[in-house]
Amino acid sequence: MAQEEIDSNQWVERYGDQMYRYTLVRVRDASAAEDIVQSALIAGLQAQESFAGRSSEKSWLFGILKHKIMDHFREIKKTGAFDPLPEDAPDPGDYDATGHWRNHPRDWNIDPEKAAENQQLSAALAHCLDGLSDRFRRIFVLKEIEGLSSDEICNEFNIQPTNLWVMLHRARNQLRQCLEGQWLKK
Amino acid sequence: MEPVNSLMRKLKMSCSETSPLISERMDHRLPLSKKIRVTIHLAMCEVCRYYEKQLKILRGLAQNLGGEESAYLGEARLSAQAREKIQKNLDSAK
Repeated sequence: MAQEEIDSNQWVERYGDQMYRYTLVRVRDASAAEDIVQSALIAGLQAQESFAGRSSEKSWLFGILKHKIMDHFREIKKTGAFDPLPEDAPDPGDYDATGHWRNHPRDWNIDPEKAAENQQLSAALAHCLDGLSDRFRRIFVLKEIEGLSSDEICNEFNIQPTNLWVMLHRARNQLRQCLEGQWLKK
Repeated sequence: MEPVNSLMRKLKMSCSETSPLISERMDHRLPLSKKIRVTIHLAMCEVCRYYEKQLKILRGLAQNLGGEESAYLGEARLSAQAREKIQKNLDSAK
C-alpha cells in the first residue's frame, strides 16, 4: 500500500480552519491563534522527513500543533501569565453565612458519560469559557481540555497546588453558574 | 434540620467547605480525612451531589470542545488576511 503522501500546498486550505479553531479554544486570542497555526505549519514543513506515514497527515500536523500550543503557554508564563493574584483567593460569595449554596446546583438531567455528545451544551460552554478571566480560563483549559494532571500544571507553570485547586474550583463554579443561568431552563 | 446543619458546620462539613473538596477530587485522590468528609457530606446533601455531577458533565463538554473536530465557536475561521499571510510565509519557508 502506498504511504500517505504529504502535500503541503494544500495544508492551509485543508486544515487551516480546523487547526485555528483547535487553537482558539485553548488560547482565546485570535492573533495568537493565527501565529500558532502558522508556526505549526512551518514546523511541519521543516519536519516533513520525519513524517513516516504511520499516522494521517492531519493527525501528524495536529500533533505538532499541540506542541506549539504548549510552547505558547510556556512563553506567556515568562510574562507572569500564571503568577498568583489577590483576586484568585476563594470567593465566599457563592455561599451564605451558614455555608449553604446561594445558587443551588440543580440536576441537569444529563448523563455525564454522554455529555461529550451534547453539541448544543458544548457550544454553550464555549461561550461561558470566554466569560472567565484569562487566568481561570487558561487553568481550566490545561486541566480539562489538555487533560494535564495537577502535578504537571503545578510543575510546568510554578503554581502552588492549593492555588491551583482554588482557581479550578472557582472556574468550575463560574462555568456551572453560567451554563445554568444562561443555557439550561429552570 | 438546624441541629444537623450546626453539627455539619462544627465538623467543617458545610457545602462551602465541602464543594472545594468535590472539585479537588476531580483531579486527584484525596487524603483519607478529606475523603471521609466528602463521602459523608455527599450522602446527606443532594445539592452537592448535583454539583459533582455538573463537574463531570463540564469535563465531558470540555473534551468535546477540545477535539480535532471541535465545533468551538462554530463558524470561527481564519480571516482571508490571516490565510493569505500564513500561505505566503509557508511558501517562503519552502
